[in-house]
Amino acid sequence: MSAELSADIVVIGAGIVGALAAQRLARQGASVLILEAGPRLERARVVAAFRNSPFKGNWMAPYPPSPWAPHPIYVPQDNGYLKQAGPYPYPAEYIRAVGGTTWHWAAQAWRLVPNDVRIKSLYGVGVDWPLSYEELDPWYQEAEELLGVAGADNTGSPRQHPFPMAPVAEPWSMRRVRERLAPAYPVVANTVARNSRGYDGRPACVGNNSCQPICPVNAQYLGINAVEAAEAAGAKVIPNAVVYRIEHDVKGHIAAVHYYAPDKSEHRVTGTTFILAANGVESPKLLLLSASDTYPNGLANRSGMVGRHLMDHPSTSLTFYADEELWLGRGPQSPSSINTLRDGAFRSQHAPYRLDFTNISQVLNVTNDLIKEGVYGAEFEKQLRWRAARQINVKNVLEVLPNPDNRITLSAEKDAMGIPKPEAHYAIDDYTRRAAEVSKADFARIAELMGGTGLRYSADGQFANNQHITGTMSMGNDPATSVVDAFGRTHDHENLFVCSTGVMPTAATMNSTLTGVALALRTAEHILPAKNSHAATAHVGHETSLA
Amino acid sequence: MVPDKLDGVSASHDHPADPSRRRLLAGLLTAYTASLIPWALAQPAPHADRGAFTALSALLVGRQALDAAQATRLYDALATASPHFPADVQALLTLINERHIDPLQLQGVLDGEHSPLAPLPRSIMSAWTLGVVGSGENARCVAYETALDAVIVADVLKPPTYAYGAYGSWTGKPS
Ligand SMILES: Cc1cc2nc3c(=O)[nH]c(=O)nc-3n(C[C@H](O)[C@H](O)[C@H](O)COP(=O)(O)OP(=O)(O)OC[C@H]3O[C@@H](n4cnc5c(N)ncnc54)[C@H](O)[C@@H]3O)c2cc1C
Ligand code: SF4
Repeated sequence: MSAELSADIVVIGAGIVGALAAQRLARQGASVLILEAGPRLERARVVAAFRNSPFKGNWMAPYPPSPWAPHPIYVPQDNGYLKQAGPYPYPAEYIRAVGGTTWHWAAQAWRLVPNDVRIKSLYGVGVDWPLSYEELDPWYQEAEELLGVAGADNTGSPRQHPFPMAPVAEPWSMRRVRERLAPAYPVVANTVARNSRGYDGRPACVGNNSCQPICPVNAQYLGINAVEAAEAAGAKVIPNAVVYRIEHDVKGHIAAVHYYAPDKSEHRVTGTTFILAANGVESPKLLLLSASDTYPNGLANRSGMVGRHLMDHPSTSLTFYADEELWLGRGPQSPSSINTLRDGAFRSQHAPYRLDFTNISQVLNVTNDLIKEGVYGAEFEKQLRWRAARQINVKNVLEVLPNPDNRITLSAEKDAMGIPKPEAHYAIDDYTRRAAEVSKADFARIAELMGGTGLRYSADGQFANNQHITGTMSMGNDPATSVVDAFGRTHDHENLFVCSTGVMPTAATMNSTLTGVALALRTAEHILPAKNSHAATAHVGHETSLA
Repeated sequence: MVPDKLDGVSASHDHPADPSRRRLLAGLLTAYTASLIPWALAQPAPHADRGAFTALSALLVGRQALDAAQATRLYDALATASPHFPADVQALLTLINERHIDPLQLQGVLDGEHSPLAPLPRSIMSAWTLGVVGSGENARCVAYETALDAVIVADVLKPPTYAYGAYGSWTGKPS
């Protein structure tokens, strides 16, 4: 065992959520050590790996897992890392590397709507959050200013202060969708961590249309930017440090964490306060893995809820040809949505949803389709241009309710380091399925308004996953039913906090990262209050650029 | 309709006529196939296998020009991936020559007859249009920016990871 490391704050996981909590704490003068299972990546190499990949539609292809810190891979085949216990598959995607999964996110950086945190009281489903939207607002603002979020005011989420940036310029394709769906459906600009002007030393978007899997120019905020900010504030990152055990003392305080280096040498790191930020799958795995005689069910698990209430956003979709040339693929990938179905009395009956339009170039999909159909000869080129110009896709982003049977457990199978793999138990209930059914009418109406032909609905009962891992370490006021309190502190261990989308008690309809970051900044403030600020009053120096 | 769009990609149709080579490639085509790809008659072809690949490629992708260097690269990659490849190409070209099969009908014909050649058109199409040779674990990327799916839409779109243009340049109507 090597010499021990120590810090005031030890953070497990260098993803966007943990790194932003780390940078805030480091700025307050704490010594911060971030242990990250995966290696450092270089943006240029990721870009090259994508260009050289035979699987351009698979955004994980440029991110091969390292043997000591595997992550799930499904193409060309399942690498068997995330075991599936069923009944419905939960093919989570995440990246274990310095910077984490947002290397290849779409940067949709949404707030919830206020009613999302009160669905039990209002609609009799799910649970209420232990805090209100109003309490979240300043933390959203701070998160938005750190990430550099561009957005418009008409998306349904109230705010006290302006967005840091005006919305990103609307691609032609989305302009036409917006114009043609009005007034039946208001199509709004997505709220995104993508620069509509130079921001914080990073350039404005130049439309590479590869936001997933990699923004080549740093116009989209990534976890690696958060890591660099933490390092600039004095935090130290140890890459290739696979934490495999969290150790407690006789009083139930966390005393240390243990990690393996790639050569499987063991290292112990002590600290005063510990932050678990290894994402919504690996974090509960680590808590379960750290079981001891005193805590036979794992740490922070008095309630038995660690790993339970796994939620995400399933989607069904419609693909069709519009009756005019739209040419998806010019500009960023995720520009526009319909937000009016995110809330309403119907939530007592079925899930709410956001309707999401992609602006991902259709060329790859269309080419694959044509080859599959055997369209050869002069017709190939004609069809390729016709379809790539007109093909469009709309999907729903459906809420899933917390259900304790949906969960992450430890698999009996182990990875190359001898650490148990995570296992997913997942089902999609009728509440969500009913909404998928209801949204078909929206799909049909949208296609009609766009003069759609060649309508292709996703297969009944088949849901795509959106990779918004939530719920597995839910926050709540009651230690009997939740894992952490409203500040992210584990009910069972005074100096162990969780910073993750996994603390969200419900999933709502919006991509969860901004909420995860906002909650983490609030946790950081709780651990070590900022000397002279509160985000609610200290929104410094941004342009007033409300659209 | 295409050649002007191919500037800088297709050098091949500029080759000076070489009677011996022209005979070679012409010898691989019938009047039927030559009528689909008349430009190919003037193609230099180092030997029969490569000539047959060029001709079959042209029939499948339906273009009136193909980049010679790309053809060489793709042929080498495909032939390395499958030892039967050269013979299969010859056989499929012969089939099309003899039976005058319309490229648009080709896959249906091969599938319907359970022909052992049925996977061949797709693997050639995939190489030219996606730049991908082989499948599954054996898939390899041999072209990206110069794959035909990028070239065919190059007047409107950039391949993903290449900047479209200055901020906001995507707001206008594509022309
Ligand atoms: C294709 C795709 C698109 C997405 N698009 C969006 C979007 O548009 N908007 C949105 O809000 N969300 C999006 N997401 C989800 C988003 O990426 C996650 O919500 C976000 O990354 C969560 O951040 P995190 O820091 O909690 O976890 P991660 O980013 O996963 O980071 C966790 C870190 O912990 C490390 N770690 C794990 N185990 C250990 C261990 N044992 N020891 C040490 N370190 C460990 C990991 O290596 C990783 O670096 C997308 C996800 C995918 C896959
Ligand atoms: S469109 Fe390009 S520049 Fe803009 S965010 Fe996406 S990848 Fe980055």
